[in-house]
Amino acid sequence: MYKLLRKEFRLSASPLSYLFIAFGLMALIPGYPILVGAFFVSFGIFQSFQTAREANDILYSALLPISKADVVRSKFAFSIFIEMCGFSIMTIMTVLRMTVWADSVVYRSNALMNANLIFLGFVLLIFGCFNAIFISGFFRTAYYYGKPFVLYIFVAFIIIGIAETLHHIPGLEALNAFGFDNILLQLTGLIFGTVLYVLFTFIALKKSIKRFEVIDL
Amino acid sequence: MNIAEIRNLNKRFPAFNLKDISFNLRKGRIAGFIGRNGAGKTTTIKCMLNLVHPDSGEISYFGLALKGNEPEIKQRIGYSNGTINYYPRKKLSDIIAVTKSFYSNWDDAACHEYLKLFNLDLNKTPYELSEGMKVKVNLLLALSHKAEILILDEPTSGLDPFSRDELLEIFLTLKERGTAIFFSTHITSDLEKCANDIIYIHNGKLVAALPIEAFMKELGQSGETLEETMLRLERSSRDV
Repeated sequence: MYKLLRKEFRLSASPLSYLFIAFGLMALIPGYPILVGAFFVSFGIFQSFQTAREANDILYSALLPISKADVVRSKFAFSIFIEMCGFSIMTIMTVLRMTVWADSVVYRSNALMNANLIFLGFVLLIFGCFNAIFISGFFRTAYYYGKPFVLYIFVAFIIIGIAETLHHIPGLEALNAFGFDNILLQLTGLIFGTVLYVLFTFIALKKSIKRFEVIDL
Repeated sequence: MNIAEIRNLNKRFPAFNLKDISFNLRKGRIAGFIGRNGAGKTTTIKCMLNLVHPDSGEISYFGLALKGNEPEIKQRIGYSNGTINYYPRKKLSDIIAVTKSFYSNWDDAACHEYLKLFNLDLNKTPYELSEGMKVKVNLLLALSHKAEILILDEPTSGLDPFSRDELLEIFLTLKERGTAIFFSTHITSDLEKCANDIIYIHNGKLVAALPIEAFMKELGQSGETLEETMLRLERSSRDV
């Protein structure tokens, strides 16, 4: 897998995949739907799929002395790596907002979603949807990426809309907890997001391997 | 000794069928794969590489079925084509370094030899190369890991006559070392120079898979070249 990941970094990846990791910093922007940062990180990964297709990367990979399943695994490994880089930045920013800037007036008066552990749970849910909808959809043909990406955009923004709405519903204000308030609820949100991310990614990987095994290139 | 065995290959497409293709490729022999555009040559080659999945039939190399042994078999196969190039904006040095890491038998000396022979600059990208030079990059990747069989889809397309001649010389040297070479081409004079066997396909069906002398004896007419024989056969099938 190391060799395949090296191939992804050295030949297939678009520089935008790395640059867009910086959108994780959007978790600091007050008065902005910060979950869009997660979407931008995944948009960076999408650029690599585009670049790879133009470079005949899938055909090159399928001709290497590796199994077809490994070709799929390498795409997932690369995507997960970028997602985790973005997630790490968002986690650092969230921890800063939960500690150093917990009482900042700018953030306290923010009408939009607060950066807390529930936010991080939603970030993972969005990444999980990217893997399940976009990557798995791409491997239906290993060529067409438009339709799965449009579908993913639709789902991602529905999730962002839901996340931004929930804490305005009476009784659910705790979802927008500041600092370490309602920490158990916050932890539950993060665990929930993590479980969904792992589950979606695992199912997407299995499905993609199956799809890639039977398509003609 | 058979290095590759292709048995009863069938593949159905909406507008084209590959029907019951069978042939063997043997150690130390060069087989030319001929047929018109759209006859099924590339589809057959793609089936042989598991890029296209046949509806039925068996493909084996070195006595091993391709299905279930793909990584092991591909370590021992070299493939190149004259139409597709990879990573057009990456330096050849990067493409070679990555490709090399996947092959346990990669031969650095052979790679440098072919780089020199093909006059390829490691700092250039495929985008900066002419079509003929891109073909040479693919050939370099196929030739540098001591493959026991080379499967080449129109490897001479876009090459100048001098480079083609050089390539045929390489084929003859590799053949002497026991490598099996299977290549599709429209330049039949190349086959007359180096091929031992001719595999001729027409409209998805195998017409003949014979040693070149037997092929000319069976299908050719007195004084005909391979190209003339092929043209006559194609014309007669069109007239029927």
